[in-house]
Amino acid sequence: MKSPLPPVRVEQALRLLPELEVLLPLRSLILAASRPEEQAQWASHGPYLTVGKRSVEPAELHQRAALVAEQVKEHVAALFASYVDALESQQRGEAGAAVDALRQAGAREERAGRLAQARAWFETALALAEGLQDRRPEIEALLALGELEESLGGHAEAARRHQRALALAEAEFHQAGAIAACLGLGDVALATGQWTGARAWFARGMRLAEAGGDLSATGQLHHRLAALARRTGDLAPAGEHLRRARECLEPLGEARAMAGVLNTQGQVDAGMGREAAAVAAYREALAWARRDERDAGLEAVIRLNLAELHFGAGRLLEAEEEARRAEQVAIAHGLNRRLVQSYLLMGRMRGRQHDETGFVFFEQAIQLCQTLERSPALEAQVYQEYGLFSTALGSRDEARAYLERAREIFESLGETFEVAKVREELQQVSA
Amino acid sequence: MTRPASDPSAGGPAAAAPGAPRVLAVTAEGGALHNVRQWTAELAARIEWAPDLPQAARQLSKGGWDAVVVALGDRPEEDLTWWVDAVRAAPGTPRLIALADRPSMGLAIRAEQLGVPDLLSLPVRRDDLAQAFKRVRAVEVEAPLPLPDVGAEAAGQYALVGRSPEMLEVYKLIARVAPSTATVLIQGESGTGKEVVARAIHEQGPKASGPFVAVNCAAIPENLLESELFGHEKGAFTGAVTRKPGRFELARGGTLFLDEIADMSLALQAKILRAVQEREIERVGGTETLPVEVRLIAATNRDLKEAIAQSRFREDLYYRLAVVTIRLPRLADRGDDLLLLTAFFARQFAERYGKEIPRISDRALELLRAHPWVGNVRELRNVIERAVIVASESTILAEHLPDEVRAGETAVPETGARGLLTLAEVEARHIARVLAHTNGQIGAAAEVLGIHRNTLTRKMKEYGL
Repeated sequence: MKSPLPPVRVEQALRLLPELEVLLPLRSLILAASRPEEQAQWASHGPYLTVGKRSVEPAELHQRAALVAEQVKEHVAALFASYVDALESQQRGEAGAAVDALRQAGAREERAGRLAQARAWFETALALAEGLQDRRPEIEALLALGELEESLGGHAEAARRHQRALALAEAEFHQAGAIAACLGLGDVALATGQWTGARAWFARGMRLAEAGGDLSATGQLHHRLAALARRTGDLAPAGEHLRRARECLEPLGEARAMAGVLNTQGQVDAGMGREAAAVAAYREALAWARRDERDAGLEAVIRLNLAELHFGAGRLLEAEEEARRAEQVAIAHGLNRRLVQSYLLMGRMRGRQHDETGFVFFEQAIQLCQTLERSPALEAQVYQEYGLFSTALGSRDEARAYLERAREIFESLGETFEVAKVREELQQVSA
Repeated sequence: MTRPASDPSAGGPAAAAPGAPRVLAVTAEGGALHNVRQWTAELAARIEWAPDLPQAARQLSKGGWDAVVVALGDRPEEDLTWWVDAVRAAPGTPRLIALADRPSMGLAIRAEQLGVPDLLSLPVRRDDLAQAFKRVRAVEVEAPLPLPDVGAEAAGQYALVGRSPEMLEVYKLIARVAPSTATVLIQGESGTGKEVVARAIHEQGPKASGPFVAVNCAAIPENLLESELFGHEKGAFTGAVTRKPGRFELARGGTLFLDEIADMSLALQAKILRAVQEREIERVGGTETLPVEVRLIAATNRDLKEAIAQSRFREDLYYRLAVVTIRLPRLADRGDDLLLLTAFFARQFAERYGKEIPRISDRALELLRAHPWVGNVRELRNVIERAVIVASESTILAEHLPDEVRAGETAVPETGARGLLTLAEVEARHIARVLAHTNGQIGAAAEVLGIHRNTLTRKMKEYGL
């Protein structure tokens, strides 16, 4: 019997892998299958461990690669089936069903994290839906596209899709569609710092939800209003909205929504300096995120917030532990954005301790942005934090260079709010 | 994951004698804890019930619990990790009693790694649960012992602490090598204090007035390590946003400490060799030659001779670095240094966190002595920092120690009459602990236990590990 090959570092394993789109699932697998080396926990490099320095067992990769290939095959087969379904529906004169089939294919791509591919399916669905007399399929396609654009950071495009969806939904008396469009428009306004606009959209959605007795939507809208109030520093009203959101959502047993509400509750409590209450809220949020089907994405977000809370309170040991848990969840579930965020937090922690080796977290985060997450907005955020880290360590030239890079990327994305912030930071570095 | 069911009696405490442990039981669908309800009176515990996971989290955050009983679900290892995290974060850090359907060896090892000594098999037997509750109750009177004053022999964050014969040998070597500028190789397990020794050599050497620059070769991405060491010119590669001096340059006139040197690629080893031999370097993307004016100290936790035999480390570089070699002992081999180090760290962290902790309990000290200290002094430092943070009195007690250390509680002889274990139980737990620390490697565990691997395999079978 052959003895197993020794483990290999992720950074070395990735060097052998060409950057091809078709190999992305394998790239993700290498990360997900990685583990810290046995000695890493107490080694001097332990505190600086990043995913690139973890190890993968070739034998395990061999085994799991076959499974991943099978999953890819199933995914592609499902897409083919959706397409054939759409084609047949169209030929039968059931264009609405064809739009649904295309939209489902897009949703499948979206769940697999293939957002650009999801967009192509949704756009095809929309093009077909636009020719129909029944406007509901068009509304659904527009809402799907709006949400997708928003998660890709395309705020203007997301707003345009949601506006169109709202106009159609109101004309068609499609209550649920109109509420979803208001939520989407509110989210865009919230993400771009347009507080008044966000408030108006959420309030409009709320009127519709309350009139229709839609408890779930009412709860979600209270949650959004709470998030908005928190962003504007109105913590007491935020708490009130959260209380009402819980009243709506808890009886419905909507675990994911409840986890989100409690996560915001933790942020609000933290903002009010009620640390124990914040910790309790985050802990309960984690329990909700795990109650039904484990929601790893939400779990990672909550853990990052919890880590941030400990960090803010100067409890660096707890902050580090929680950030490491978030990192582990992100690695195991292929949540690259969250992984980048966990490294940003770890880098900031090292910056506060004036630990120059902390730069490894920013370097790893940049690499992840460029190879896996491919989100320029997130990459810009990494450069921005890298700049602040360099400032803390007194490396002004480097700080300026990283901040300039962040500014360039934010400018190219039209993120005026972020550009203004980076400009301010640049001025401080130059002062 | 536990699938809790709604329960009409949820939240209501069962009647029990005052002083009995307060236990939160998270009910599971299908009645994994069904029997526990019937035994409540006999178990002499105040049991309250959480109808579901979020409710359990809510009740836990209110504090006042001595133990939490939970049945693990379909993914027991993942569940166990989640619960350990949840329980550890709860006020008063209650003890976790985990129940699992036919626990596997992997789960038993995981439980040991996480510091959960109470992993019981489902269907749960009353006696097992009663034993677990007894252990919760068996909080004994801990006698405070004064911590020795180590201030006189230790100063600053990087002080060397210890009087064991092994450390005296290290001190002698440091004293002998420091006055020269000879290259030094420091070898020792993780956490034995290689950087501390390197700093001591620097501070007592002729370049003490210069900088001490440390590079952790294992932490830095391989593709960046060269530029970190030698520096780079602006635009030398993507990401080289400015001209940057390398660590060789930054350490000019002082000491360059290359930690975890065995983690360097062969290509980079060749460049280091050139720098050491020719005493000059070039920045990445640069043409200017810069002189190397540093004392070089390297360290590793690996066996470099073995790495040479496997062609993973250059022999010529090894001989250049190992002009003088210092080997650091494991904490487990340093006898009473453990107490001195505990005292040193307790004082250091008490100062940092604005506390005064001049004592440690006999039980806590026993637990520290019984712990295997895989992470050596670094692990001890971490444990004492946590203990100082959570200690509300002036004495470090057993309850202030993390679960990994308290997991050895059952291995430490009990002085009370209750909750005593049989010799076989102690042996089974100790074997599980050692296996946990060797990540299930039977050969390594047999070596630690000092028995033949066949004997260990037989015992593992016997104890169902």
